Amino acid sequence: MFATIFALVKKELIQVRRDSNMVRMLFVMPIVQMFLLAYAVNSDVKLIYTAVYDFDKSDLSREYIRSFSPGEYFVTGSSKYSLLECEEGFKNNSYNVALTIPQDFSNNLENSQPTEVGFMVDGTNSNSAAIAMGYAGVITQQFNSGLSANSAPIKLAEKRLYNPEAESVYFTVPGIIATLITMITIMQTSMAIVKEREIGTLEQLMVTPITTSQLILGKIIPFALIGYIEMTLGLVLGILIFKIPFVGSVALLYGLTFVFLFATLGLGMFISSISSTQQQAMFFAWFFSVFSMLMSGFFTPIANMPQTIQYLTYLNPLRYFLTIVRGIMMKGATLSTLYPEVIAMAIFGVAIFTLSWLRTSKRVK
Amino acid sequence: MNKIKFIAIKEFRHIMRDSRSLIIVILMPIMMTFLYGYAINLDVKNIKLAIVDFDNSSESRDLTGRFYNSGYFVKSEKLPDMESPEKVLVAGKANAVLFIKPGLAEAIANFSDYELGITVDGSDANLAAAASSYAKMILAEFLSSKFSSGQTESGVILRSKILYNEDLQSSHFFVPGLIAVILMMISALLASVTIAREKETGTMEQLLTSPVTPRQIILGKVIPYVILASLDGLLILLFALIIFGVPFSGSSLLLMMFGLIYLTTALSFGILISTLVKTQQLAMMFSLLATVLPTVMLSGYIFEIKNMPVVMQWLTQLIPARYFIMIIRGIMLKGSGLAELWTESIFLIALTIGLLTLAVKRFQLKIG
Repeated sequence: MFATIFALVKKELIQVRRDSNMVRMLFVMPIVQMFLLAYAVNSDVKLIYTAVYDFDKSDLSREYIRSFSPGEYFVTGSSKYSLLECEEGFKNNSYNVALTIPQDFSNNLENSQPTEVGFMVDGTNSNSAAIAMGYAGVITQQFNSGLSANSAPIKLAEKRLYNPEAESVYFTVPGIIATLITMITIMQTSMAIVKEREIGTLEQLMVTPITTSQLILGKIIPFALIGYIEMTLGLVLGILIFKIPFVGSVALLYGLTFVFLFATLGLGMFISSISSTQQQAMFFAWFFSVFSMLMSGFFTPIANMPQTIQYLTYLNPLRYFLTIVRGIMMKGATLSTLYPEVIAMAIFGVAIFTLSWLRTSKRVK
Repeated sequence: MNKIKFIAIKEFRHIMRDSRSLIIVILMPIMMTFLYGYAINLDVKNIKLAIVDFDNSSESRDLTGRFYNSGYFVKSEKLPDMESPEKVLVAGKANAVLFIKPGLAEAIANFSDYELGITVDGSDANLAAAASSYAKMILAEFLSSKFSSGQTESGVILRSKILYNEDLQSSHFFVPGLIAVILMMISALLASVTIAREKETGTMEQLLTSPVTPRQIILGKVIPYVILASLDGLLILLFALIIFGVPFSGSSLLLMMFGLIYLTTALSFGILISTLVKTQQLAMMFSLLATVLPTVMLSGYIFEIKNMPVVMQWLTQLIPARYFIMIIRGIMLKGSGLAELWTESIFLIALTIGLLTLAVKRFQLKIG
């Protein structure tokens, strides 16, 4: 029994090793991506480029404009477009906000009259637009009360736990590693059986005394190994080069990775069992890779999604694994808090394996 | 010309024969648009906040109310225990804890120094950033309401006006980007297999001994996929307009034109991959690994390019989707025309020509 599986595993590994392109793709490409993409995630809203049309040009108007700058949000400057062609600047993205101060600004204020200021916002990016308007409102209120953000006596002292410098890298690099492992394991396993079928070697395997479960095990063990090697590579480089903290237990992370790989490999096997050509398998693998990535809470929080869509994310092993990776690496979480995620991944894995085992054994006969 | 046509027809037959793949190619992008059109947004809400109020005055209750009524924060499932309030963060039961020490009411009455504390779970960088900027905003509003009573009729009144996306619909921003991302991925994936498949099945030699030039082979192979991918593009665009109500204020002709150029870029990239590897499996893995993460992360689809470090910003210039996203957002949402989009157009066209030439060159090299 074990000898047969071992022989199959060896065969798969030899096939991978023989293909230098495959080796490069499996081990070099993920690492290169990790470096290239590490600093891309950053959804802080800052640098709102602001065109200023100051028709008053008084000390007061300049003071008002200055009150926009000290925050981390607005970058003010005068526009190269006249107010009449102001929209050109919005269209070619020179700025996202335009502030217009009328000629009677200081005059009105000195006579205790209300004065209107125009604030035009590019609503294309709704999130930045909402934040820009919120901040402009606050800045204006503070200007009115003669209070600048720095002179208010009550301050907010912020403390970030686990990721104190708010380094997005700490968050991105483990996310990229986990996403790539998901993609690669799904892609590899989804091809596994379909490829043998397409080249015609599946019949050869069938006439040998191999059982379905041995075949499946022989196909997934090599990819589980590859998954582990990739994770180790990614983690070591992440810790050495990006100085990502690792607070929790390494053994726990490796143990739980097994449950995660079990789930993604099962998904790959399932795809393999429902596709009849490599191309179809690849399309499905693509679909599920993108699904895992976008529905995991890696790029946008799951809490933002509509409720029905949130239910769908429960079908995503990566969702649980990201919580586990972040939990263990940054917070030092233990099984006592992570058990719901582990159970969910395990259920997913068992279910998907049973499904694909049923489908494969039927098709083999 | 005729030869190109025959190769194109042959390739078309290949596509049509595998009807299951064809259905997948047409249905999957639509499903993806539907799913991610709803799922991907940055309307941060429901940040789980636990408030520990030691002041327990009317002022502190006012502040608490402002946090929970802001629409950004919701009460955490579990209240923190007083000994170690930050424990709720480990379990993920709350994303942030706000501490109101005793003395807030006096500080407001006497205009004296006081510090509020907020502890944010930084392990989810997106949520942490949102929590901290909304908390600052709510506090600033709270303070100005406390300290500027009675002055409101005279001061500056801010008249805000929103251009283009007046209702601030998140989907109007993300769905056009999603179209660009999906088209890039599917086109590269489709094209990457074509030449690799001929190599794997051994029909490449047959093609090469026939009197067609490499350029004719590549063109003949690209054309059917341009048609297929355009069909995909049109379908998801239609879907975006109907389901998500994304406005279309610019010229549809211009969008079609850029769409074709963009598809050619993506397909050329796929063909280039196809010439680099020997098997279908490698070709598909290569194209997925090279397009999925980079396109989503570096195109400006979710993360704004201007917020990235400068080196990363240079890197994004190599991502075709970056330009097409600017173009499609510009045309659909702002009604931009060539006058505003010419820089993006030039870059996109340059990338297309570069990739296509490279693909043809590589292919010729292989033959020679």
